[in-house]
Amino acid sequence: MSSHLSSVEISEWAAGTRTRERENHLHECAACRGELTRLQGALSEFRDSLRSWSAGQDGAAPRPVWLTEGPRGVHRLRWALVAVVMVLLAAIPIYRSRERQRQADTSLEDAVLLEQIDAGVSRSVPATMEPLTGVVSSGSADEQSPRKK
Amino acid sequence: MQPVAASGFLTATFESTAAELDDFDAVVRLHWPAVFRFALASLRDRDAAQTLTQDCFMNAWRGRGTFRGGSTVKTWIMRIAVNLVRDHARNRRLQFWKRTAAHALDIHEAGERIPDEQISSEARVLRNEQVRTVWEVSGALPEKQRTVFLLRFVEDMDLLEIAAAMGLKEGTVKVHLFRAVQAVRERLGGAQ
Repeated sequence: MSSHLSSVEISEWAAGTRTRERENHLHECAACRGELTRLQGALSEFRDSLRSWSAGQDGAAPRPVWLTEGPRGVHRLRWALVAVVMVLLAAIPIYRSRERQRQADTSLEDAVLLEQIDAGVSRSVPATMEPLTGVVSSGSADEQSPRKK
Repeated sequence: MQPVAASGFLTATFESTAAELDDFDAVVRLHWPAVFRFALASLRDRDAAQTLTQDCFMNAWRGRGTFRGGSTVKTWIMRIAVNLVRDHARNRRLQFWKRTAAHALDIHEAGERIPDEQISSEARVLRNEQVRTVWEVSGALPEKQRTVFLLRFVEDMDLLEIAAAMGLKEGTVKVHLFRAVQAVRERLGGAQ
């Protein structure tokens, strides 16, 4: 074969476009084979170098919590939520019962207080004057007694 | 009977592929380096690459229920990464002034990391120079060409996988790859 592969043909070959004719030529032509080997060598060195360099760039995979324990964490959270709901549901009747009891106690206290107020209001004289009313009552009784006599 | 058997085989294959996501921790360990490397080579910013890699796996974790096994897990994850890199590049164009030089990578660092081998210092210098050249050229490529180039020559993905990851046709991928290779060859001095 007289002519060598063109630059485009070598690039095409390296890029993956391959034909039987070019393959035969590369098999026979040391110059073209050398050219292709040189290009592939440079690309291979680039890959090895970049891989090695990248590995040294602190690019190791971390063990983030959201990945490794995400599902378990979600399950735990779900169970905790269920537990909280159940505790709340159980607490509601107790709370209501206590609330009723408290209301009953309050009503009773209110009734007693109201009675006391009623009693206070219904007095004819203030509480501090009550002893005097006794004296006045006994005095008037004494006055009436001699008349009877 | 044959179609049924084939269909059953495909279903089983897809299920086994989708089942890989059950152990998501293993998926992260397996694919994290590739995503980080791709992000690093695309963005040239270590912090941005780390953030993007985390976002990629966060998105994969959230969207794992939608994965039907139509491609490999790697292709699916790389597709997420490609989209994130594209979005990041767009945002960066708008907010370029926010980027701090402290986080940007030294473009020549990559060339210094060739694995140790028994080669002469002269050969090592030549190889370093080649790696730096490829690094520089790949950084200057248009976004799609760079992505195709990195996925093909760094991540060793085949054309169909790249097409699936980028949402392009195989022929389009070939064109982008050809242009990228041609640009690299021109800089390496091989293209006439």
